[in-house]
Amino acid sequence: MFIASQLMNGLASSALLLLYSLGVVMIMGHMSVVNMAHGECIMLGAYVCYYLYTVAGVPYLLSLMMSFFITALFGAAVERLIIRKLYGKTAETLLATYALSLIIKQLVNLVCGSELKYVAVPFDGNISVFGVTVPLYNIFIIVITAMVLFATWLIFYKTPFGMKMRAATGNRSMTECLGINCRAVDTLTFAYGVGLAGFAGAVLAPIRGVSPFMGASYVTDSFMNVCVGGLQSLPGTALSSLLIGQSTSILGGIWNEVNAKMLVFLIVVVMIRFRPDGLFKKERR
Amino acid sequence: MKLDLRKKLMKTAAAALSLTMAASLISGCDKSDNSDIKIGLLFSKTGATAITEECMINAAEMAVDEINEAGGINGKKLTYVFEDYATDAATAAEKIKKLIMQDEVTAVVGCYTSASRIACEPVVEENNSLLIYPTFYEGEKPSENVVYTGAVPNQQGDIFIPWLAENVGKKFFLLGTDTVYAQLINSQCRDALANIGGEVVGEEYVPNGHNDFSTIITKIKDADPDVLFVNLNGDSGVAFFKQYKQYGLDANTMPVASYLLDESTVAALGAETAAGHYTSINYVSTLDTEANKSFLERYHEKFGDDAEMTVVGEETYASVMLLAQALKKTDDYSAESIIKAMDGISLDAPEGTITFDAETNHMYLRGRIAKVNSEGKFEVVYESPELIKPNPEA
Repeated sequence: MFIASQLMNGLASSALLLLYSLGVVMIMGHMSVVNMAHGECIMLGAYVCYYLYTVAGVPYLLSLMMSFFITALFGAAVERLIIRKLYGKTAETLLATYALSLIIKQLVNLVCGSELKYVAVPFDGNISVFGVTVPLYNIFIIVITAMVLFATWLIFYKTPFGMKMRAATGNRSMTECLGINCRAVDTLTFAYGVGLAGFAGAVLAPIRGVSPFMGASYVTDSFMNVCVGGLQSLPGTALSSLLIGQSTSILGGIWNEVNAKMLVFLIVVVMIRFRPDGLFKKERR
Repeated sequence: MKLDLRKKLMKTAAAALSLTMAASLISGCDKSDNSDIKIGLLFSKTGATAITEECMINAAEMAVDEINEAGGINGKKLTYVFEDYATDAATAAEKIKKLIMQDEVTAVVGCYTSASRIACEPVVEENNSLLIYPTFYEGEKPSENVVYTGAVPNQQGDIFIPWLAENVGKKFFLLGTDTVYAQLINSQCRDALANIGGEVVGEEYVPNGHNDFSTIITKIKDADPDVLFVNLNGDSGVAFFKQYKQYGLDANTMPVASYLLDESTVAALGAETAAGHYTSINYVSTLDTEANKSFLERYHEKFGDDAEMTVVGEETYASVMLLAQALKKTDDYSAESIIKAMDGISLDAPEGTITFDAETNHMYLRGRIAKVNSEGKFEVVYESPELIKPNPEA
């Protein structure tokens, strides 16, 4: 029974981890930009959700969608104003996005205050099956993550935009020669990545604390997750989320949280030592 | 070209130097005016704990105003210099140095985080000045230059654990952030339970910032305790309470007892999630006494009806009042004689009468256990009959 509960918990944690890592797959995997402000994008989404859902009384699902679009818009602006000038300069983008993360954090702190914000859990309650209690919201998380994953896959592989994006990642100059506007593709990709982070923030808001400094706890996990999965790979990131989520849950269950976290980090470090490109390496010609 | 730049730089530097000299001369003139007593207030107006400390700043200002309205200190007016340490320990040390050296304040009332207090202590000790630290905290070997007006763990735990064991249940599950503070109060809880025949059925720690409690909750369900003794920092605490409710745990059968459950946490949780849980503290704003009602009335008149009052605000108010009473009793404003003058002072604070303990530089306080009601307000369910002696080194 204990293991069954832990497996269900692990599944929900894995789904959450995947959800807030997807933005990194887009931005780091496809644009080679290390976005140090990823955590703050998550935080912005959570705040949008707080103001719409708690303060203005907009229905939760609508707030969720709005969080995506508003943070995506913000992402587009950031790409146009800052990131665009810095493509190919890893150290500079790292510094610029780190500065951005500090600025966003302090601005939100000044404008909204540092206290934790209250966001009600939208699908409250739980179901019990054979003594295993599963909160309804966890089921919602699993379903919504599957939907976002599927939608992202569709965009990647089934739309002209996805094709252009993959082309731009694969061979930029050739793509430009073919008359495709790579700059527009860049803006959209970055905006989509940031939008996903904001969406994840809105999903996290009801069950975790909403505060200006909440982002920090998600950044490390999402970067680690994407590295294990293999930068550009959607299935790789999905699999690695499952591995990390479940092993943390099971190890935490039979041991304790502090040791589980250390052990999972250790496993990840060893794994990256032997498979530096992650689980799903993208073959390049 | 280069030379030009250097000249310019020199000029600017010289100008800046003469300006600062002039400024220090002017402030030097200020100091010669001996008709006022100047104290320092050191709190965060910006930074992570700014919201918590807002009511401390308000309360200190109100106390100073009230002292002056009542005739000041032996005819002298009490004034203050405010500095913002922005929830940063290094800044706190810098600012308190400025208050002591440049403003030459008689004493400083301030600091909220333990880190800021620890950073300020060596500075106050070096300059043989006085810091009054106005919040509950984890306890330490008292410094000779610090007066601590908040509760230490024994003033919360001594009544809390036995009361819970008697009125709620004897099986405890201990949970905390992996810090010295949580481990200390959990081991105190363990000792207290051993004395009264209670039992610890589980003990877990989570890393700082942890916010997925599904695993812990599975363990809690397996252990089936009567009381959850939970001391989680900031966001972690909120995440825990929310997930507690999501997984269908019930405050009626398995309530949470926490030192870190205050008015601001309850606001972040919502009344529905916070209802039924317990805290142990010397003051809650809903305290039903004349002194407290009048205190809150004056406070709201000054700062508006929405201004919140919490235990740290009340303790700050009491700190300034204590300092004023001590200053009235002495003409020598050195740290040593001010502290000596505090000996034997019984202070009528909003929380009731509290007395100074010369042995530890802490306060004898009344312990109170409060439960969150269905409207999200604290209701006092137990009051210690006697004031509890502070034991900061427990």
